[in-house]
Amino acid sequence: MLQKKICMLGSFSVGKTSLVRRFVESIFSEAYHTSIGVKVDKKVVRVDDEDVTLVLWDIHGEDVYQKIRMSYLRGMSGYLLVVDGTRNPTLDDALALNERVIQEAGKVPAILVFNKSDLLDKWEIDPARESGLAEAGWNILRASAKTGDSVEKVFSQLAAAMLVE
Amino acid sequence: MADQAHRRAPTGQAQENPPGNNHAYEELRHLIIAPEQEELADIQERLDDRARRTQDVSSVVAEAIIMRRDQRGEPTLAQALAPSVQETLRESVRRDPHPLADALFPVMGPAIRKSISEALRGMLESFNQALEHSLSARGVQWRLEAFRTGKPFAEIVLMHSLLFRVEQVFLIHRHTGLALNHVVVRSVPTQDASMVAGMLSAIQQFVRDSFDSKKEESLDSLNVGELEVWIEEGPDAVLAAVIRGHAPADYRLTMKEALEEIQRRYSSALENFKGDATPFLSAEELLSRLLAAQHREPPQARKPRAALAAMAIILLVMVGWAAYSTYRLWEWRQFLHAVRGQPGIVVISYDREGGRYHIQGFKDPLAADPNALLAEAGLDPKSAEFDLAPYYSLDDAIVALRARQLLHPPEGVTLSENHGELRVEGTASPQWISLVQERARYIAGVTSVDTSRLHNSHLLQLDSAKSAIESTILLFPIGRAELEPGQGDSIVQTEKQVRDIVAQASRLGEQTTVELTGHSDSTGIEGTNMLLSQERADAIRAILIRGGVQAANLRTRGVGTTQPLRPEDTEENRRLNRSVTCRITFTPVSSGN
Repeated sequence: MLQKKICMLGSFSVGKTSLVRRFVESIFSEAYHTSIGVKVDKKVVRVDDEDVTLVLWDIHGEDVYQKIRMSYLRGMSGYLLVVDGTRNPTLDDALALNERVIQEAGKVPAILVFNKSDLLDKWEIDPARESGLAEAGWNILRASAKTGDSVEKVFSQLAAAMLVE
Repeated sequence: MADQAHRRAPTGQAQENPPGNNHAYEELRHLIIAPEQEELADIQERLDDRARRTQDVSSVVAEAIIMRRDQRGEPTLAQALAPSVQETLRESVRRDPHPLADALFPVMGPAIRKSISEALRGMLESFNQALEHSLSARGVQWRLEAFRTGKPFAEIVLMHSLLFRVEQVFLIHRHTGLALNHVVVRSVPTQDASMVAGMLSAIQQFVRDSFDSKKEESLDSLNVGELEVWIEEGPDAVLAAVIRGHAPADYRLTMKEALEEIQRRYSSALENFKGDATPFLSAEELLSRLLAAQHREPPQARKPRAALAAMAIILLVMVGWAAYSTYRLWEWRQFLHAVRGQPGIVVISYDREGGRYHIQGFKDPLAADPNALLAEAGLDPKSAEFDLAPYYSLDDAIVALRARQLLHPPEGVTLSENHGELRVEGTASPQWISLVQERARYIAGVTSVDTSRLHNSHLLQLDSAKSAIESTILLFPIGRAELEPGQGDSIVQTEKQVRDIVAQASRLGEQTTVELTGHSDSTGIEGTNMLLSQERADAIRAILIRGGVQAANLRTRGVGTTQPLRPEDTEENRRLNRSVTCRITFTPVSSGN
């Protein structure tokens, strides 16, 4: 079976962990996040009649106390850049982080995930900006960890993109 | 080729040099280089000609293989040949399986036997171990520990008896942290290898980053409770061994060697790894060799002995128990036999329920108490329960007992019973004797009464007086009916004795009859003798009446010579036959009085 290492990236409390919690196999405690800054989970998705094991490095969100350890990105085949759709600054942070990621790990398939799509009334991200990013080449998906909306799709799209590479 | 060069040379030269010189030069040239040219041509031909090259290699191929094999202990030759050999074998079997089967036949039997004996030995060993562990004090302690900690017993045993055991080995792609292969000891629970491999890589990187260690240095072991994780990093691959207990330092070397072998064998697969771990499936055999273990106590001869001793104890306990059970059963049978033989008790059935015997039947009220019998036999009174309905037993002993209860025999009287006949023996008062005669036949189980040996106690009191009288012989002269001279004392004494006995018997309620019998000797005529003897008896009667004895108590008869007291062989005996003797009988005065 094909295995791929992918990373979950994004600011602190954008819902990365919530996004994976209900949809992946997990054996490690979330305490690893605060101690070593990463927790490894697994997700099997089906792409073109083939099972692909995604080994998911859920990397602790960046905050004033903890920077992302770039060495965790080594060897990844793709990543999810997670943004909280109800908080505009998280998008800015994510894009800044993305620059550093590309610098460190090179260009690999990525998906920009706008989380909390269930809270459209509190939505802060300007649709014009969203379409601008899409035009700039970003693969953007709106998802909700709370309702489960599009979560499977996020993973299978990333897997498909990586297999094309 | 040599010929070609030889021929080409003159044509080339012919255009540049004059013909005379040319020839000499050609000659010289031929002399100098012709042998080398020929050799070169030969070598060239050898290299170009495929058939000759094959022939050349064929002459050394065996030696080459041997040399290669001897060079070092490295298995590269075997690795190179393995696929071809496998393919060859497969092809051979596909075409015709018989030649290979025939070739393998001589080794198959021993191989199978060896495998079976290995399996049996393993089973025996584990049985020994289990037996020892379950019986020793340490085993009990471990059981308690298992109970306390909630861990399976097998794990506790392993924890204490293992020095170390390598339970899992991960082969991890260093760059991506993805699992390439994973082997695990049977029965060890495992987590998902890809996640564990990822996390191990993350921890490695975390340590390396956090402590700013130099690139070539890295975390090489982790401790997690009873487990240690030993990590060995190569340029492209990482080996992680999960070890229970403490492995010896040289295990690190084993890991290094294995990792080097993997790096070497899979160098291109590691470099081009894109997430497909299939090429590394073949590393399983190499990784499995790392699953080593060492026990605290190497198997010794002591173990089977301990097992044997334990088995002997078990056997002894079993035999002891069986013997005890048999003894208990025998004891019970004995008791049952005794109860069955007990008069007045009938056992109809018995069964055993919950360790107790339940006995059904009948019991005469006079029969022995079965619970007392139980205690007498030394059995626990609680081990049996009796359910006996009352009935009248016709057993001899019980009928005798019943008669005794009803008749209250006085001292000196015994009662016995045999098939309904009650026999009463001894001496008793006439009142009791009449009571027996009246009541005995109404006793249940008595059909007849035998009192022939039951004596009237009153009559016995008169016996001595009676026999004194009866032993007296009153003598008469020949042919006469008057007492001999000198018999006066005897008759006076007899008179007194008769008066006394009549009076005494009368007091005891007995009527006395004194029968006086006259005898004669054989001289004279028989008719006269009869008459004479009657006269003699009558004479004594008259004397006694004169002496105060009531006529009613006297009776006479003459017997002549018919009942002589003595054979008449001497004069003295003849004299004794001329006499009167007495016989005394008693009759109760009358039952009414």
